[in-house]
Amino acid sequence: MAAKKAARKSLSLAPVLDLNEANALHGKLMALRGNPLAIDASAVERVGALCVQVLMAGAKSWEEDNQSFTFAKVSDAFTKTTQLIGVNIDHLMAKEI
Amino acid sequence: MDMNEIKEIFFQECEEQLAELESGLLRLNDGDRDPETVNAVFRAVHSIKGGAGAFGLDDLVSFAHVFETTLDCVRSNKLEPNQDVLKVMLKSADVLADLTNVARDGGSVDQARSAQLIRELEALAKGEAPPAAAPVAAAPKAVAAPVAPAPVSNDEGFVPVAFSFDDFGDEDEAVADLPSYEIVFKPKSELYTKGNEATLLLRDLSRLGEMSIHCNMDGLPSLDQMDPEAAYFSWKVSIKTDKGEDAIRSVFEFAEWDCDLEVTAHETGEASEAVADDLPMQPVPFDLSALDDEPDAPLGVVEEEEQIAAVQEAVAAAEAASNVVQMAASASRAPAADKGAAAAAAQNNAQQASSAAAPTIRVDLDRVDRLINLVGELVINQAMLSQSVIENDSNGVSSINMGLEELQQLTREIQDSVMAIRAQPVKPVFQRMARTVREIADITGKSVRLVTEGENTEVDKTVIDKLAEPLTHMIRNAVDHGLEMPEKRIAAGKNAEGTVKLTAKHRSGRIVIELSDDGAGINREKVRQKAIDNDLIAADANLSDEEIDNLIFHAGFSTADKVSDLSGRGVGMDVVKRSIQALGGRINISSKPGHGSVFTMSLPLTLAVLDGMVVTVAGQTLVVPLTAIVETLQPDAAAIHSFGATQRLISIRNSFCPLVDVGRILNFRATQANPVEGVALLVESEGGGQRALMVDAIQGQRQVVIKSLEANYTHVPGIAAATILGDGRVALILDVDAVVAASRGQSLQHETSLAAAG
Repeated sequence: MAAKKAARKSLSLAPVLDLNEANALHGKLMALRGNPLAIDASAVERVGALCVQVLMAGAKSWEEDNQSFTFAKVSDAFTKTTQLIGVNIDHLMAKEI
Repeated sequence: MDMNEIKEIFFQECEEQLAELESGLLRLNDGDRDPETVNAVFRAVHSIKGGAGAFGLDDLVSFAHVFETTLDCVRSNKLEPNQDVLKVMLKSADVLADLTNVARDGGSVDQARSAQLIRELEALAKGEAPPAAAPVAAAPKAVAAPVAPAPVSNDEGFVPVAFSFDDFGDEDEAVADLPSYEIVFKPKSELYTKGNEATLLLRDLSRLGEMSIHCNMDGLPSLDQMDPEAAYFSWKVSIKTDKGEDAIRSVFEFAEWDCDLEVTAHETGEASEAVADDLPMQPVPFDLSALDDEPDAPLGVVEEEEQIAAVQEAVAAAEAASNVVQMAASASRAPAADKGAAAAAAQNNAQQASSAAAPTIRVDLDRVDRLINLVGELVINQAMLSQSVIENDSNGVSSINMGLEELQQLTREIQDSVMAIRAQPVKPVFQRMARTVREIADITGKSVRLVTEGENTEVDKTVIDKLAEPLTHMIRNAVDHGLEMPEKRIAAGKNAEGTVKLTAKHRSGRIVIELSDDGAGINREKVRQKAIDNDLIAADANLSDEEIDNLIFHAGFSTADKVSDLSGRGVGMDVVKRSIQALGGRINISSKPGHGSVFTMSLPLTLAVLDGMVVTVAGQTLVVPLTAIVETLQPDAAAIHSFGATQRLISIRNSFCPLVDVGRILNFRATQANPVEGVALLVESEGGGQRALMVDAIQGQRQVVIKSLEANYTHVPGIAAATILGDGRVALILDVDAVVAASRGQSLQHETSLAAAG
């Protein structure tokens, strides 16, 4: 439980998560590794497959690190896009808070 | 990079595609049945359509679409590309070019013409012979059909995917009975780097029918090992749709080269359920409207970058190049700006903004790299030189001299590289001529074939830009005046189809462009009579054939019996001559009655620098272009022979060569110089013969920067241009051919009076 007590970080996603943003997002996630993370996707208006890839890779890595990786808030567009491309994020949705 | 720049690049691409299209069609016209040729043509139209769609150029898209459909019939061997078909296609290529120009510069196209062509193309696609005039009722449908499904109001720029689905069945059919398809979609990384977006493709796919999707994330590495811009996801989709496999494939139309795509059809829904069994499929039953209402933010460009993104590499190159070129380009800027201004006058504000983009050229990356390398060397050399200067005391002068020599070599190489960047093949200009020929042939009712040679000959961009207009004039003249009507040709025992040949080649450091026709040649009697009527020459003037031929370069001269729409209004050849002269070129005509005429233009390759031999003549410093000089020699008294009253010959290795006293011809001195005291430069003139130019002394070889005399002073016969020497003095650059011509008896003065009259 000690690890869980590490400061919980949050990351707000940019409105447009396209090709240009993928690198930036990757960088941000890398910087936050080792901490529990709550992602705020409420401002997202558009998201591309590349950024979803980065987020999913993030989720995987966080899982390996035994840290929590959740989507605290999601926008309609974000949810719909992930459903459209068949990426299930239900298990990552914030539950406990 | 803003949208206008991207658009400008799209138009540059269009030009290339149009050229590709035209040359492909012409090859087909010549009987080439290589499937690759047909594919190349198809791709060209397809790319234009794609790009145009991204910019919402609906006219262009709809026309290109119809064109493409017909080409597809050719591609799938449903339509035999015979002469009639190709005639329609070539015309369509012209209209496509017009539409592109209109999209770029504003203005309007001949709607009736494009509507007619759309009808003809559609008729061809349906397997009918091209109708002379299709029923008018068909027109609105023809035009509307491809446009209607395009979501024009939706600014996403995904228009190209909006295919006409009119032909497909009714959507009200029960979904359960619909055929289902299984699609495996595996994007490659390029798909993303080209600005395509898998989510959008899937969204468009989902619009076709009821869709289930499984995203395969197995390939996804952990965060620290991943490349954020690489493709890891792949999808397995099953979709029930009545729109057919083609509709599915068309969704991936612009991505098909950048992804692995498999589409398999299942007769009924059963199979797809079987698939669903072994893979957890997520149904996509959503109302996806939320995704459709995406704000049209500037970043939305990514979506619109379908085609454009594909050229982004080229953009980088072009940008780098344009930076470099800016230095050398100042000369070409002015005319380009003029053109821009003229175009802008006809445009509304929005279009003005788009035309404001500075003119750019596309350059081989290799050439830019070479230049960059050289500049690097230059920097090193500069460091070495300053080091040498500092260490001057110990090391002496020799190391400085060595450094200077290296600097000199570098400067020269850099100059060459910069020139190479500006060099472009004459191909685009030649291809434009093909169209001119077709149109004039149509109007005059003549059958003409344009043969081009040496399209890849490279010449400075400025020269290319200024070449189009005189060439068009000359081609018009050649077809309208030069070639006879088919009946006449047959009567004269010639092929009913006239041939106009356009060739370009490099010769002694200049580009020589030849335009020949196999027509009737110049009717000298008529030209002479006309010149007398117009008071250009005296009635009793005694002119050689060559002189008569050259009369056509006078202003207000036309031998066509009737003034036609095309030519014969007396403006033409004089304008041609003046524009060629303004480029530092010359134009010659040779004509054989009954066999046609040949116009030869010789133009400098570049307008900026030349290698010259600096010589002294009667106390004046002159520069002789090195490219003209074959050898230099010190004449022996024994080798000089008199010939006639004033002519002298020099004997070189047992052959005689006329000796030309430059100082005498340029009127630098009144008496003939003594050949033994001077140096003879053996030069090759454009006519092919050799002459020995006599000068007093050779100072050395130097690279000189050409400064136009015409622009700064006025044309001086016998002098091509001027330059500034290292000591700041002005030296004149000798026009070798003019001097040689003058030595043949036509004095320079005569040439001047002709030029003044023209």
